[in-house]
Amino acid sequence: MMAHDPDTNSTERLIAALSADVPAIPPRFIGRRIALGIAGGGVVSIGLVFALFGMRPDFPQALFGFSFWMKWAYTLSLGLIAVAATVRLARPEGGSLRMLWPLALPILLLAALAIEEMSRTPMRDWLSMWLGGSWNRCPWRVLLLAVPIFLGLLWSFRKLAPTNLRAAGAAAGLAAGAWAATIYCLHCDEYAAVFVLTWYSLGILLATGLGALIGPRVLRW
Amino acid sequence: MRHSEAELRTWMTAGLDGDAAAHAELLRALVPLLRSFFRRRMRGEEDIEDLVQETLIAIHTKRGTYDRDRPFTAWLYAVARYRLIDHLRRRRVSVPIEEVEAILVTEGFEEAVTARVDVDRLLSGLSGKQARAIRDTHLEGLSVAEAAEQARIGQSDVKVSVHRGLKALAARLRGQE
Repeated sequence: MMAHDPDTNSTERLIAALSADVPAIPPRFIGRRIALGIAGGGVVSIGLVFALFGMRPDFPQALFGFSFWMKWAYTLSLGLIAVAATVRLARPEGGSLRMLWPLALPILLLAALAIEEMSRTPMRDWLSMWLGGSWNRCPWRVLLLAVPIFLGLLWSFRKLAPTNLRAAGAAAGLAAGAWAATIYCLHCDEYAAVFVLTWYSLGILLATGLGALIGPRVLRW
Repeated sequence: MRHSEAELRTWMTAGLDGDAAAHAELLRALVPLLRSFFRRRMRGEEDIEDLVQETLIAIHTKRGTYDRDRPFTAWLYAVARYRLIDHLRRRRVSVPIEEVEAILVTEGFEEAVTARVDVDRLLSGLSGKQARAIRDTHLEGLSVAEAAEQARIGQSDVKVSVHRGLKALAARLRGQE
């Protein structure tokens, strides 16, 4: 019917051109691509920790302590939940940020731990426990370390298809922030649960907000 | 002829495994589906084929986001819907002259253009006056009054040149896709 329409011809030519290049796609492509982006950015962030802040001097001993693993359990679980949400939002059918509700579990666990720690501490020490020695640097450093990881995720998204760009940006920012916090643990020797709950979470929240802010602009395709 | 979900999905999956013939088969089968999808949602006929082509390109470049275990048509129409929204957003470039500046700011037209094509090459297709007016007001950041003074023409002349130039650019960009 429309066989001689010039538009139809150009569509046919386009199909021929597209079909000339059909590489195989591995299963679980989105997950791989996002993992690769985070890993690539993460290597840069680890380099930044060594270059700017240095490894905590007691790192080997810290590996046998409770607080290091408490921090890692918190940031890693946030990171994994964020990655799961990012993978979902990278599909055109999308999803909503409501799938982030499992975040409540690590947050509540850490809050319970913080309360338990404080109940064992005299009230006059609460403030120093809360502020630690680095409360005013911690959130900004986490945000800084999140930048390379977010850039890695932008690389991932070049082959992905988010349609809710703000939500996808927020999820990517959350993932970048949580993995940045995980990496920051290599340097940070704060030990109080209430410190981590406040200042680590604030850094991660900043990264999330920034992701939501620029998502519509940088994730367009 | 219409193809079933199962048929389309078989082609899509084969394409994901690297089968170029199945991929071409799929894209060809999608053309009538996409045409009627966009016709139902657009007023005029003029942009339908552009949209179909943009969507075919998106389906090709973003095919890694299709999960072999999920329904294919849901994925397909999600891509098509996104292309439609993006298309409408970009198309609002041809509007009454007073709104041009506001829309340029909110829609990030310059960024979109810069990302898509080399600006110099694009502007070289316009008349000297139009190219200069667009360059001055939207790339160099001059106000309309400043641009008018530098080019020794009236302010309304600058505005009209920008408007006509952008319209011509938009038409050319659509033609290229």
